[in-house]
Amino acid sequence: MLQTAFNGLVTGIIIALPALAVTLLFGVLKFANFAIGAMMTVAAYMVYALNTELGWPMLPATVAAAVVFGVLCILMDLVTFRPLRDRGGLTLMVASLGLGFVLENLARLAYGNSARSFAMELARPFRYMDIRMNREQMIAFVVATLAMGIMYILLTRMPIGRAMRAVADNPSLAQVRGIDSAAIIRWTWFIAGMLLAVGGVLIGMDRAIEPPMGSSYLIPVFSAAILGGLGSPLGAFVGALLIGIVSEMATLVIPPNYRIGIPLCVIAAILIFRPQGLFGQAHIRR
Amino acid sequence: MIEFIVLMGIVVCFSGILALGLNFQWGLGGMVNFGLAGFYALGAYSCALLMLKGGFNTFFGALGAMVIVGAVCGLVAFVTLRVTEEDYFAIVTLGVGEMLRLIALNEDWLTKGALGLTGIPRPLSAIVPPTYYPYFLLALSIALVVACIWVLNRLARAPFGRVVRAVREDDVVAATLGKNVLWARVRIFAIGGALIGLAGSLHAFYYQYIDPTQFSTIVVAYAFMAVIAGGRGSNLGTIAGAAVVMLLLEGSRFVKELVNLEADQLAAIRIIIIGVGLILLLIYRPNGFLREYRLQAPLKEARTTPQSTKEVTT
Repeated sequence: MLQTAFNGLVTGIIIALPALAVTLLFGVLKFANFAIGAMMTVAAYMVYALNTELGWPMLPATVAAAVVFGVLCILMDLVTFRPLRDRGGLTLMVASLGLGFVLENLARLAYGNSARSFAMELARPFRYMDIRMNREQMIAFVVATLAMGIMYILLTRMPIGRAMRAVADNPSLAQVRGIDSAAIIRWTWFIAGMLLAVGGVLIGMDRAIEPPMGSSYLIPVFSAAILGGLGSPLGAFVGALLIGIVSEMATLVIPPNYRIGIPLCVIAAILIFRPQGLFGQAHIRR
Repeated sequence: MIEFIVLMGIVVCFSGILALGLNFQWGLGGMVNFGLAGFYALGAYSCALLMLKGGFNTFFGALGAMVIVGAVCGLVAFVTLRVTEEDYFAIVTLGVGEMLRLIALNEDWLTKGALGLTGIPRPLSAIVPPTYYPYFLLALSIALVVACIWVLNRLARAPFGRVVRAVREDDVVAATLGKNVLWARVRIFAIGGALIGLAGSLHAFYYQYIDPTQFSTIVVAYAFMAVIAGGRGSNLGTIAGAAVVMLLLEGSRFVKELVNLEADQLAAIRIIIIGVGLILLLIYRPNGFLREYRLQAPLKEARTTPQSTKEVTT
């Protein structure tokens, strides 16, 4: 019971990273990016290549891949989404679907369908009060918490974070106040790319590295972001923890194969009862 | 060779009907369906199971599949009760589609899981001699495509079609004018679902064997490509788009003999090409190659009605 809750907490905190990326991108660009799953996959394969083929240790490999992938995200935005920017959320969403197809299958083309794992030495699980934690879980917990802390400081204390929130809140007002929205969009992609890269690595460590690894997390990630209210960073974090714990606990009752059904039911319930999410503001439509 | 063309023709027909279903939901109704593969699987499995386990004949099997998929789609559209943002809806369809595929894979007692269902009957196979059967199935499929296009065009031109387009362009305005937006959305999605069910039934008739791997991401990719290439909202364009996409992709199997590639790699390359094509079409050819049916307005009015109303949401 406690063990399941702990596993759920770890899953939740891993989901929190991509969920935060989704919510930041949605806040600034106003569309749901369905390519995030494939983006995590590609980033995980990048770390895999540095780690196993060049023999880098995990930490520098992850940092390097995160920075490179952040830049790649800016480039992908430039090629794919920028020309479609004023075409509405629906078009951007379908374009992100297409981008996801391309990215996932580039990974498949390069490394095939078989599951892989990072070159890390095995370690004995650690026990504390009847809870078994393996090293991957502890790394995931520490790294994700650290990343969330950095993000919190960035969004609330740093000028760039404040500018991002300003653009998310009201783009034209931000423009009037002299905020360069194109630069903010680039920063948002860079930060989202780094979050997705770290998220991809943690997922790869927790499960395995294979082409559908990222897209299998799409539904939990989106439901976390929607639960917290799309566009609300704090909401995404809380939503991710809730989704992680609830779906892991639910496997005690329902067959684990249908785990994905829990976030789905959560989304449906939110859409019916509280469309703005837990932390979102109700939209006033004209 | 003639045999191959006939079989290709049948494949184009049922992919075309699938794309028509998506076109109705997304092109005409503005409700994007990312769970297409799951709904398509639901259609094929419902049809097959109604016949194999329920003892229905092929006609009622297909009809039942249309009703079931239509009903499930209608139910999915119902969760948009309070929100109308397409982002939420897309993720719900993705999730439901995934659930449907999981059910097909895991409920062994019903669907035989990964083994798949075999020995699916075909329409009128007792009467039509086996040598002519492919021709008969092609004729039947073409007749169904024509019938679908006819019905959809009638719907698009009927008052219902106008309400649907009004909801797509701006649901607030439609609601202000006293149109029931939720009911319109449920009906759009259900009718589109019925078409997907029909396409699934034809899929089952054609292959006579279905398993979960037939309903993968590539189905979604094909259908979206067909709709975008054909021009959102244009039914004829969608069929043309489906034909072109299918021919290009099926043609690519001959490439395999020229270049030494494994099956996995070829499949990956196909999806990459579709993905790139999708993005390029969206950027450079957003209206596809045929445009949506539009009422000819008198010149004076045409100036005051803008071509595409931007959605105003705050």
